[in-house]
Amino acid sequence: MSRRTLVLLSAILVVSISSAACGGNASQTASGGDSTAGPTSPTTIILGAYTTPREAYGQLIPIFQQQWRTQTGQDVIFEESYLGSGAQSRAIVEGFEADVTALSLEADVTRIQQAGLITHDWQDNPTNGMVSDSIVAFAVRKGNPKGIDDWADLAKPGVQILTPNPKTSGGAMWNVLALYGAALRGYVEGVPANDEAAALDFLKAVLKNVTVMDKGARESITNFEKGVGDVAITYENEVLVAQMQGEDYDLIIPRSTILIENPIAVIDAHVDKHGSRAAAEAFVQFLLSRPAQEIFARHGLRSVDPAVAQATADQYPPVEDLFTIAYFGGWHAATPAIFGDDGVFTRALVDVQSK
Amino acid sequence: MTLQPGRLGKTPRERWPRPVDWRRRWLRRALVTVVLLYVGILIVAPIAGLVAGALAQGLGPVLATFRDPQVQKAFGLTLRISLLVVAIQAVFGTAVAWMLVRDDFRGKKFINGLIDLPFAVSPVVVGYMLLLLFGRQGLFAPVLQTLDMRVAFAVPGMALATLFVTLPFMIRELVPILQAFGVQQEQAAATLGASGWTTFRRITLPALRWGFIYGVTLTLARALGEFGAVLVIGGGIQGRTETATLYIYRALDERQYVAAYSAALALGLFSLLLVLGTELLRRREESRQ
Repeated sequence: MSRRTLVLLSAILVVSISSAACGGNASQTASGGDSTAGPTSPTTIILGAYTTPREAYGQLIPIFQQQWRTQTGQDVIFEESYLGSGAQSRAIVEGFEADVTALSLEADVTRIQQAGLITHDWQDNPTNGMVSDSIVAFAVRKGNPKGIDDWADLAKPGVQILTPNPKTSGGAMWNVLALYGAALRGYVEGVPANDEAAALDFLKAVLKNVTVMDKGARESITNFEKGVGDVAITYENEVLVAQMQGEDYDLIIPRSTILIENPIAVIDAHVDKHGSRAAAEAFVQFLLSRPAQEIFARHGLRSVDPAVAQATADQYPPVEDLFTIAYFGGWHAATPAIFGDDGVFTRALVDVQSK
Repeated sequence: MTLQPGRLGKTPRERWPRPVDWRRRWLRRALVTVVLLYVGILIVAPIAGLVAGALAQGLGPVLATFRDPQVQKAFGLTLRISLLVVAIQAVFGTAVAWMLVRDDFRGKKFINGLIDLPFAVSPVVVGYMLLLLFGRQGLFAPVLQTLDMRVAFAVPGMALATLFVTLPFMIRELVPILQAFGVQQEQAAATLGASGWTTFRRITLPALRWGFIYGVTLTLARALGEFGAVLVIGGGIQGRTETATLYIYRALDERQYVAAYSAALALGLFSLLLVLGTELLRRREESRQ
């Protein structure tokens, strides 16, 4: 009996070790094959993206794969990873070898650039390095039972708010900038324009109502869909995509909000190492083309192509007071001033949490 | 086999003493109700919810989930990492447990304490610790670069992370058994002329059998379910470093709820069968003796 059990155990051990080893070998030979490949064998593009545009990429990637095959006769395989923008940016800096990165905000690409992985001027193109736009908006329950129409309503007692964590999520940073900017610009009742102290108090009042801070924008909105909270501050495109997928809640656009500009960049160090530069650059070019921009627009994103933006204007209502990151002096100024250790948001959060 | 140690080591089932008065009977009923409610709310209800969620649109979408090559890859990767980790822990766990009980060396207490560390550290932190070592700016980065080896954002890093979080299980199963078993039988074997290896193979190992099996079961179950550490060190690259748990997380993000629930159910059922199978094996052996 005991001998039989021993035989059984050792058999399990042998099988598991060999299967694990075989698996390892198989993947090694596969990757070895890639690097020594000729031009007609498949190439791979690793896409490191933020969480929100995944449905758009799900439709765009197959179209590009077909285009590339007809143009070059080569198959291109995609490996995709979707994390919160900040988390994705840090993963790439730590060694995740993405060929193309599509993030929520410029500062997250700048981090990769400063790590020495992007060596070209990625903003030197007609869209200034951006691939899509959006705005910060609210998702509220069907029929807006809590009457949340603008920023000021978020500070009302008893309103439960979802917004992601700015430490990991780019969308969360846009949310804070939109809220604080709207207050500074005089679009919040009771907060005089350009009154930093009053704007800070308003930020604190809203943060007090925040019940959940998720890792990424997508997680935040799906938690809202599961019944948490009264309002989710989020990308306009998150709400539009959810509505396309049959989720039943309302989109509210505040009078004043920030224009979200999402960058895309080829990562030089990785495409050169993988030999995937040609395909990766063609992919980015494709994403900026008119057909691709139309697909982005169908997935709730505002187009960076003026012609497409004009053609889809009826789906994307204008905002009374639309400002950009330039209002805060660009990301290099906004990041420390708002999110740094002594930044406005950091101080407000510490203050709210200590109470 | 004279000794039957193990976590479910049993004394003959004790019968509740004859009820002395009605109060005791009520107390007992109340306690049983509390236990049933506790287990029901904590374990049965979530599993039932998962089953309901997976079958919300019938069996078709559930089966379609497992035909998806990305799902198959994710489960395949989970299985590969888990089996590798179990194999390593089986060998080294046994060795470490044996050293801790049978040997005396400087720093033994320190090692003994360190082994429980993975219980205390959050898996996400484990992932970041490994990134600090194996990341692009990590301590070992120059070595890895010259060898052209990839650990972070690749399978070896994920296996390392899983090894870390599963370290205590094997050892903590084996140490008490080795202590209870004592050295007399081993010494007896030695006086009869058995070599060290023969003694280990014929005396020690059979005594360890059940601890070994439970250790393997727990290690495997833990490895299958690991999430935070493999997410941080692996990056969740679809089709490459996406394990079953990471696939479930992604499917939820993509609002593919049936796929997420189906995959979660499959993973849960596998672990359940594993534990039940071990228990069944043990019952059979007990009844045979």
